Amino acid sequence: MQKVITINLNGNAYQLDESGYGALHTYLEHADAQLGGNPDKAEIIRDLEQSIAEKCLRFLGPGKSVVSTLEVEQILREVGPVDGGTTPSGHAAGQHTPHAGSDATTPPHPRRLYQIREGAMLSGVCNGLAAYFNVDPTIVRVAFVVSAVVEMAVTDDPPWITVMIYVLLVFVVPYAKTSEQRAAAQGASEGIPYKVQEVVERVKAKFGGLHHKAR
Amino acid sequence: MSAPPLNEKFASIRKGLLEFLILKIVASDKVYVADMLQRLSTTEFATQEGTLYPLLSKMRREGTVDYEWHESDAGPPRKYYKLTPKGKAQLDELNQYWAYINQTFDNLGRA
Repeated sequence: MQKVITINLNGNAYQLDESGYGALHTYLEHADAQLGGNPDKAEIIRDLEQSIAEKCLRFLGPGKSVVSTLEVEQILREVGPVDGGTTPSGHAAGQHTPHAGSDATTPPHPRRLYQIREGAMLSGVCNGLAAYFNVDPTIVRVAFVVSAVVEMAVTDDPPWITVMIYVLLVFVVPYAKTSEQRAAAQGASEGIPYKVQEVVERVKAKFGGLHHKAR
Repeated sequence: MSAPPLNEKFASIRKGLLEFLILKIVASDKVYVADMLQRLSTTEFATQEGTLYPLLSKMRREGTVDYEWHESDAGPPRKYYKLTPKGKAQLDELNQYWAYINQTFDNLGRA
């Protein structure tokens, strides 16, 4: 169950899932930072809000009054990241200079690996990996199953290694609890100190000796 | 999902040409943003609101395009963009320059 947040987009009320609201909030803050000292910033943000509002209508109908998180994320992908142009200033220049020269389609912030409970089959590991690599969660799940089958065929034993990898990820990868973390799992936020390398480090630190013991 | 390398090489050129193409689209018709996106969507220059709105506001500040509000059948009033006389002059200049660049491109390397 998700809390619903009512927002005002250009004078009309829309209801969003709490985490959808988080993604939208992050997007608009990023837009605000990108536009920096742009004299038309307020107008551009209004135009963007209007576009987002019109796209929200597509998902609403007589039997549906709330825009879901996945729908918000789809809408934000359609609208695309705000391109501040060649004159980033102030806030924007300080935060986003490393990305200024890169292609506009690259995500503005590094992705973080999380477990995502929403839509998860077991713990959300595959769901999180899928969000991280921007693929369908089913592909990741199938990959795990294929890995297990291959391992069984090769070792003639139960697929211990595949199961172990999954269980390790369950224990080591944190849950995306806040809306910002859920946005970061899709590569839309910043400031969350979590990278794949750090996960690997945590695995090494926590379970460094386990591998040898298991053998 | 990265674009193939050849495509990457032209990313900055496409980005630079977008303003020129917007002038062309706006010159042909009174259009609002969804129209522009729709017309570009099937081309190499497909873009998104996040890119287009800041570009249009810059073009308006530079005086090449302007907009008016028009009521729409579905939903709130929309901004319809049109070319200003200055924008028309710039489009003519750009067309000439583009032809000149094309000529240079075709002629270079010929025996």
